[in-house]
Amino acid sequence: MTATTTGGPARRGLLASAAGAAGAFALAGWSASDGSPRGAPPRPQDADPATSVRPFRGEHQGGIADRPQTYAAFAALDLRPDVDRDAVRRLFTVLTDDIERLMTGAAPVTDQEPELAAVTAGLTVTVGVGPALVARAGATVPAWLAPLPAFSIDRIEERWSGGDLLLQLCAESPTTLAHAQRRLLTAIEPLCTLRWVQRGFREPFEGEHHPMRNLMGQVDGTVQPEVAGRDAGLLWCGDEGPAWLVGGSALVLRRIRMTLDTWDRVDRLSRENAIGRRLDTGAPVTAPAGATATAIADLNAKDSLGFHVIDDGAHLRRAHAMAPHERFLRRPYSYDDAPTEGSLSDSGLLFAAFMADPVRQFVPVQQRLADKDLLNLWTTPVGSAVFAILPGARDGELLGERLFA
Amino acid sequence: MHARTVLAGACAGLLTLTLAACGGSGSSTSDATSTPAASTASASASAPALTLVDGWAKSTDSMPAGSMSMTGVFGTLTNATDKDIQVTGGMSPAGSMVETHETVKNASGTMQMQKDLDGFTVPAGGTFVLAPGANHLMVMGLTQELKVGSEVTLTLDTDSGPVEVTASVRAFPGAQESYVPTPSPSQ
Repeated sequence: MTATTTGGPARRGLLASAAGAAGAFALAGWSASDGSPRGAPPRPQDADPATSVRPFRGEHQGGIADRPQTYAAFAALDLRPDVDRDAVRRLFTVLTDDIERLMTGAAPVTDQEPELAAVTAGLTVTVGVGPALVARAGATVPAWLAPLPAFSIDRIEERWSGGDLLLQLCAESPTTLAHAQRRLLTAIEPLCTLRWVQRGFREPFEGEHHPMRNLMGQVDGTVQPEVAGRDAGLLWCGDEGPAWLVGGSALVLRRIRMTLDTWDRVDRLSRENAIGRRLDTGAPVTAPAGATATAIADLNAKDSLGFHVIDDGAHLRRAHAMAPHERFLRRPYSYDDAPTEGSLSDSGLLFAAFMADPVRQFVPVQQRLADKDLLNLWTTPVGSAVFAILPGARDGELLGERLFA
Repeated sequence: MHARTVLAGACAGLLTLTLAACGGSGSSTSDATSTPAASTASASASAPALTLVDGWAKSTDSMPAGSMSMTGVFGTLTNATDKDIQVTGGMSPAGSMVETHETVKNASGTMQMQKDLDGFTVPAGGTFVLAPGANHLMVMGLTQELKVGSEVTLTLDTDSGPVEVTASVRAFPGAQESYVPTPSPSQ
């Protein structure tokens, strides 16, 4: 039983409400991320994946509603103290030209390794800005563009948090990614200092038989709002905010550390109880055998003793949207960095979620998860950042040009 | 490699035009009527005889204090005419003059830059590549900072008259080779 067979748009909406808003580890199938119909092959057959190119120009930036590439790097920078409005404009002049060249395989004009740039591998570079940059440009800062409130579960470290400028780089080749990151960081070095870089990956063989799974083994980041259709308003900023942001979005990036040493002690039944879903399929534990991750969860189902089948502290239940707007587009990446001394792993999830208004859409969900979520036993938010994602650069435009209108 | 360069050049030429178009007046333009096709049309309609495609100059932002006396300009000089064009130097509002420079091997076998007294010959219907470590233009006697992301204008002296070109100012850690003053032939 899948969402498609159980009902029309109304039922699908209910499903998206139930699972789409989940916090770090919400589940089920990535849908129509590239605007293709649900059920279409998740991986378009490029003539040559090495040289596949995603569009740079358009109403929206890439790297948001399109299918997530396998590798990602999130780089946050701070403006140097002497960067004024004119310098911010010069920053976007350089970024626009270099990003367009990198995404099309032409290589930046200063690039002495153009052979690396020629392997575009579906590269997208998505530019976001923090409140300080917007202020220096002299534009209106949206009310939600600020650090998230401190949640009781947080153990936030500065080295993974905040920033004036964000570059989200995604590609199917880690070599492409490393080259693009290096070229862009050096290109804007006179104007910015590097604050942090977080690198992540997804399942390289992601597809119908191999869903994105996080490093706890859970199917992750799949049931989504229908951002190509009726839920577009949940993703893209509209007329309710500053004019420079229309067609843009917001990125919430949370670095969520997994304590795999203790997770290893937990049996599979207890793991499924903590999440409220089956580990093999990602289907809700209330769904009949054979159900997929997109099956609708029955939050009211009780067992013979009168307890909820989906535990009162299960992640699925706690992340469940209490209102239609408590949903957002998740585009998560795993990380698995070098272990620190005395540990065997430093693993977790780069929870990346795009939405029109984080305070309205994300904070209520995160508050519920902070109040109660069995997964909190094994996960800890250690980094947090919010950026305004610029609208796309239309023909003849610079990225961020409307900041200067 | 050759094909890639040509492609990159064609692409970049359009970029330069569109950037110049939106940066020129300083005002925010409405894009309701702007299309890629229109950009392409204007590019071919007004194509000058000699252009600098992918033109860029090394910014002074990252130069050590006190060393900010000159900077290199790079790109691909492109000759759209059916006769060779000779570039012998030029002027720039950013400095005292523009020189053509070449890379030569000195007596000890190391590569050094020096003024190319003959200038550059851009072949008819062809290109002449300006690159770090090879032939390039130098803006001498800089009179102002060249900030990353800005533009610098050069008026090149050619045997078919002055040609104005622009270069995007970029951060670049290279092009720090030593330069050899060349004795003037008249001295």
